[in-house]
Amino acid sequence: MFGPRLEGRNGVSLVPSTLEHFKLHGPWSMQPEVGRFWGPRFGELTDENAETRFKEFAGSQTSVNWSIAYQDEPVGFTGIFGIDWVRRDGESAIFIGRHDLFGRGIASEAVRLRTDFAWRELRLHRVHNWIGLANRGSRRANEKSGYKQMGLYRKFWFRSGEWYDEWLGEAYPHTFPDQR
Amino acid sequence: MALGGTIRGKKTTLRLPAEADLGTYNRWMADMRVRRAHSVWQEPAMPATWKERFKETAKDKMDVLWSIDAEGGLIGFAAGSFWSVTESGFTLRQFVIDPEEWRKGYGWDAALALHRYLFDYLDLRRSGVEVRADNAAGLRIADRLGYAEYARGHEVHYRDGGYVDEVQFFMLKETWHERWGATEREYGPVAADATR
Repeated sequence: MFGPRLEGRNGVSLVPSTLEHFKLHGPWSMQPEVGRFWGPRFGELTDENAETRFKEFAGSQTSVNWSIAYQDEPVGFTGIFGIDWVRRDGESAIFIGRHDLFGRGIASEAVRLRTDFAWRELRLHRVHNWIGLANRGSRRANEKSGYKQMGLYRKFWFRSGEWYDEWLGEAYPHTFPDQR
Repeated sequence: MALGGTIRGKKTTLRLPAEADLGTYNRWMADMRVRRAHSVWQEPAMPATWKERFKETAKDKMDVLWSIDAEGGLIGFAAGSFWSVTESGFTLRQFVIDPEEWRKGYGWDAALALHRYLFDYLDLRRSGVEVRADNAAGLRIADRLGYAEYARGHEVHYRDGGYVDEVQFFMLKETWHERWGATEREYGPVAADATR
């Protein structure tokens, strides 16, 4: 399913995704700047596949997904997926496709809105994620909303001559800073 | 999920699953002892639903399912996922032994055989598994195989009125070969004159 519109600060909002947003994902994810902590920078990048994924995301009963808008333009995606409604646990992810906008605090605000929604509206118990340890921007964005390290997967992947570790985080309602 | 072929252990055999196994799978998924130890693979359902699931299972390319036999009968199943075409790894997602067959060494035997297949036959770089923190048998098998803990999720699984932690493990190919390479081989050495 797609989440409702959530208005944030500094021009950032989470909005229900559209098919047009989904068609942007492929070209964004193929950029070296974006793909450093993602992979594998190839895939089935057809409009038909974007439509199939859009329908799957829209119809899912175990995920809540948004497009991230910055000054009313789509710039990425975030969501909570694989939600177990008994355990009340899900995995979160964020993807900023517009690398020219890195460093403006968009991810931090998007994670804050998403995490607040997880506790106040979905009544989840826990949210967890995997982030490249060296992806400091994404990691800090999550830490600001209460994610704490629960583990470190050493040498998770190899890129440009060096091993990258993967940071595993988890967050609970009681770790969320009151930022209202 | 694809269907896995034969992997022989000393006491157990992982083999191609069959429709005839589905009724037993259903019984295990409805057994609270199994549900306490593991995440549920599929919820109990009507036979027709299980047949549909089985058809879908057979189509998948990256996930694999095996039935496990011992002494001529079905005693469990294993299921897991290969990572991707660019990442050489496997995550063991389900490893169920019939509660009536616990404490006979079947779990260890089947787990050892499965990992021999992953490292000695498929030459994967690593494998992973997640075990509930109170699943003593699962933790013991993981440790004995050579798995190392890299993360611990707190209050992850809910059952019996409370939460339990989850321990996440990985094992590298080097660890497997160091610990088991001398004794666990899928095949003997190729004969000296085999390539003449």
